[in-house]
Amino acid sequence: MVKVGDRLLGYATDPDVRSRGASGGLVTAVLAAALEKGLVEGVVVLKRMDEYEAIPVITDDVQEVLASGGSMHAVPVNLAKHAVGRKIAMPGKPCDVRGVIEQAKRNGVDLESTYIVGLNCGGTMHPVVTREMLVRMYEIDPEDVSGEEIEKGKLIFRTKDGEEKAIPIDDLEEAGYGRRENCRYCTVKIPTSADLACGNWGVIGELAGNATFCEVMNEKGKRLLDNAIEAGFVDVRPADEKAIAIREKVNSAMLSLGSEWKEKVFTEMPDQERLSYYMEQFADCIHCGACKEVCPVCTCGEDSKCTMFHSLADNYRMSMYHMVRLLHLSDSCIGCGQCSDVCPVDIPVTSIFRRFADPAQKKRNYEPGMDLTRPPFLEVMLK
Amino acid sequence: MKESIYTSVCPGCSIGCGLYIREDDRGAVSIDFLKSSPVNRGKLCRFGMRLPHYYSTPATGKVEGLGSGTEDAVRAAASRLRGAEKVAMLSVGNTTCEEHIAFMKLAESLGTVVHTGIPVYAELPPECHPHLEGMPFTDIENAEKIVLFIDPYVQYPLLVRRLLAAKRNGAHITSAGTTELHLAHENRKLSPEQYAELDLDGNSVIITDIHPHTDPCHIRQLLNVVLDTGARLHVVKPFVNSEGVDRLAKGRAGTMGISQIMDGIEKGDIRTLVLLDSDPVELMPDTDRAVEVLKKLDNLIVISSRDSLVNAIADVVIATEHLYRKRGTLINAEGKLQENSGQGVDGIDAMSMLSRQLGADGFDHRQMHGYLHERMIDTLASENRKPEYCRMECGTVPAQQNGACTLEYVYNPFMWFSQPDDNDFVLLDRSMVKSLGLKKGGTVRLDSEKGSMNMRYRVEKVPEGTILTGRKLPIATGTVTKIRTEGC
Amino acid sequence: MTDKEWEPKIVAFCCNWCSYGGADTAGMGRFQQPSSLRIIRVMCSGRIDPMHVLNAFLEGADAVLVTGCHIGDCHYVNGNYKAEVRYRFLEEMVRELGLEPERLQLNWISASEGEKFANFVRDVTAQIRQLGPSPLKPEGVN
Repeated sequence: MVKVGDRLLGYATDPDVRSRGASGGLVTAVLAAALEKGLVEGVVVLKRMDEYEAIPVITDDVQEVLASGGSMHAVPVNLAKHAVGRKIAMPGKPCDVRGVIEQAKRNGVDLESTYIVGLNCGGTMHPVVTREMLVRMYEIDPEDVSGEEIEKGKLIFRTKDGEEKAIPIDDLEEAGYGRRENCRYCTVKIPTSADLACGNWGVIGELAGNATFCEVMNEKGKRLLDNAIEAGFVDVRPADEKAIAIREKVNSAMLSLGSEWKEKVFTEMPDQERLSYYMEQFADCIHCGACKEVCPVCTCGEDSKCTMFHSLADNYRMSMYHMVRLLHLSDSCIGCGQCSDVCPVDIPVTSIFRRFADPAQKKRNYEPGMDLTRPPFLEVMLK
Repeated sequence: MKESIYTSVCPGCSIGCGLYIREDDRGAVSIDFLKSSPVNRGKLCRFGMRLPHYYSTPATGKVEGLGSGTEDAVRAAASRLRGAEKVAMLSVGNTTCEEHIAFMKLAESLGTVVHTGIPVYAELPPECHPHLEGMPFTDIENAEKIVLFIDPYVQYPLLVRRLLAAKRNGAHITSAGTTELHLAHENRKLSPEQYAELDLDGNSVIITDIHPHTDPCHIRQLLNVVLDTGARLHVVKPFVNSEGVDRLAKGRAGTMGISQIMDGIEKGDIRTLVLLDSDPVELMPDTDRAVEVLKKLDNLIVISSRDSLVNAIADVVIATEHLYRKRGTLINAEGKLQENSGQGVDGIDAMSMLSRQLGADGFDHRQMHGYLHERMIDTLASENRKPEYCRMECGTVPAQQNGACTLEYVYNPFMWFSQPDDNDFVLLDRSMVKSLGLKKGGTVRLDSEKGSMNMRYRVEKVPEGTILTGRKLPIATGTVTKIRTEGC
Repeated sequence: MTDKEWEPKIVAFCCNWCSYGGADTAGMGRFQQPSSLRIIRVMCSGRIDPMHVLNAFLEGADAVLVTGCHIGDCHYVNGNYKAEVRYRFLEEMVRELGLEPERLQLNWISASEGEKFANFVRDVTAQIRQLGPSPLKPEGVN
């Protein structure tokens, strides 16, 4: 029996799952066990299409869960909306987890019946950019790639004939490749708001590459892990001091790099220029609504203020859609970058939203998606 | 909790945006973003975002108004086609290459050709068609000078990001279309004589589109500019596989534009019309008129995946599966061959059955796919096959009469596929709004010879006297309709 | 319009119980008031959605005033408190947008404070006249 707060090293007992998973297959095994033992009705898995493409699907087939797994840095999706209205377990990067928590705050998700296994994340890459990067920077044919990992600040690609090539992520990003912009300045690398916080940071020595560091964050996390251990799907052992220290070191190194990026991306803009910048950017908007559709924190559904009070017939300088989105996201934006990804006219939507959200959230010392104790601050609380 | 995922292409236009279609266990359809698609990075426009609606009305098989299975429908179609004379067949490119090839086989056994409905193709000599093939979108991003004859925001939104990228790379963008474009450096209405002023060269790109109502004269003039200056022409097309069906068309002799087909029906030169995922009612600017004309046919046979307007008046409807479920390939405006992940072959099987009943050979998907590859090798082998002798004379386009207002269609996917959309307004020039004394939130009254209606409006910088619409209006008599409104 | 001096358009949201009464009192007291004001009466300042304010700007308002009963005097107990929380938030957003802070102002005015209301509107009008038309004003709107 594990306890809340435990920091463990674990791996899947099934050798096949253990070798295929990114680091010991712990997450895959925990999710499979949750399904097998009826803790949940389904599991969100990333169905792999190829090295650069996967799509989240919900399955109730344990075998399909076990067959999934493997890290996919070039698949930037957000899973939060798949949890809506379902009793499922899901893996999640910090932004997936934060999305689910924000959904729960607005009664979109019932956290009691949703289990989230969080994964440490240093950032994701855009698949099209990744392919281009492989050709230009790595001189590798994207079709020859058999796997990829991030280690000690380097992005490593393995080819099918067993060769490896590593380039420091800093160099890649200098050249305009590497992680998506929002990932570079992301402020949450370890998903402490998930039920379990897992990752390979802190896994060293003989276990490196085939075990996962796992922190039990709450009662649900304990239930998940106990269930997997009882079912015989995973083995765990306590992590030693050294492992814990290394994990913390990686995290803080990532965070300080993130704050450097933040300064680079969010340059000061004089008051007069800001408005014309925003108007100029939004003037290309074709009002497809995709940024709202993908937004993991939006719970409004079809009849929302941003769409119902907006009309294509208006000839405003900025539309009501933009205004209401800016307003609503100021308190809840988690900077996941999905909106920029799907914008058909390449408006840097995420960085614009962050320009509003960042100061507002900082002023109120409010970090969305981290816990349920504080409601969204636009919600008026009466003393 | 079982979900089926299909990798497919958006049927909105010939850009060919990749996307996922998700079907849940209750059959509900939703879209998801295929971010690894090099065409669109998974990004979708307003039409793409509303595909669940587009896919919500599957076609149902029908014989003379009564529901029927595929076999009965095919039998009924065969008995109507046997010995039928004056047969015309239309496929504009709303389906896969393989289905289109099957349709061409069917045409062969009926002793006729498949029309693609675009008059430019019909009027231009076949050897000039390579000029009308698209080019890689990345070439647009690298152009130094771009001239637009389309409104990318409304018509082909996924081109906007390419144009913005070009702008960031230093391109100069001129819009020669009707609306003022935010992304353009320069917006000017140009007459063909003024094209020389644009000072184009080999690093310039002219972007225009051809659709069933494009004036062939406009394309001829642009072709001449291209030949004079060395500029490249990028032609966007309105249907997902427009590029494919044109490349597949053999010889192209005797093909007709959709208006010619409608005229042919009216004159009695066409007595039987077979349609493959092409709806003249949707494609013609005047819906009522199109229905009236089509009713004159002896036989109207529809092979379709969607329950569109023409199905209601068809004698026989052979229903096939939705595009995203079809097995097959599509060619986008860049000339890129994209494959569906679906495995459905209902369409080809039905046409094969029909072919056999007409006494010809049957065929299957594999054969059709093989034929496609042969044809593609054919076309690719003749790279640089853009002959110089396509220079053409063209009469002058009649100048707009002063003092008259015109209602003009801005064709976009919502218009072609009569999908509900929230652009239920017309675009008016500010001076017209002022002179009519219109109030915000009010409507403008439009009178044509067909009737009158009130429409909401939006103020936009459009040429004086021009009223633009992004949706089909019942008072329209053509792509351009004369409007009598006070102040005109 | 060109020959006349430009007159700003100011939208004031007034609550039914206090600030609207204040505006009324200002009128009855015959305090000189600029013609720039458009009053929108709401039952309570708590009803003012930030969206209403943003919409006013997009429609061409040069300034928007949010007014209500003094804190503690709300007819509905705490509506003005809610209005203030939202206002503080909106204030930040308007500033981030790059609009001058003078274009959005809050004031608590009771039904008897006619003079205060009139002075407030006059001051704001003077400030806005200095600033000129709002950059968010749609083209063609005065």
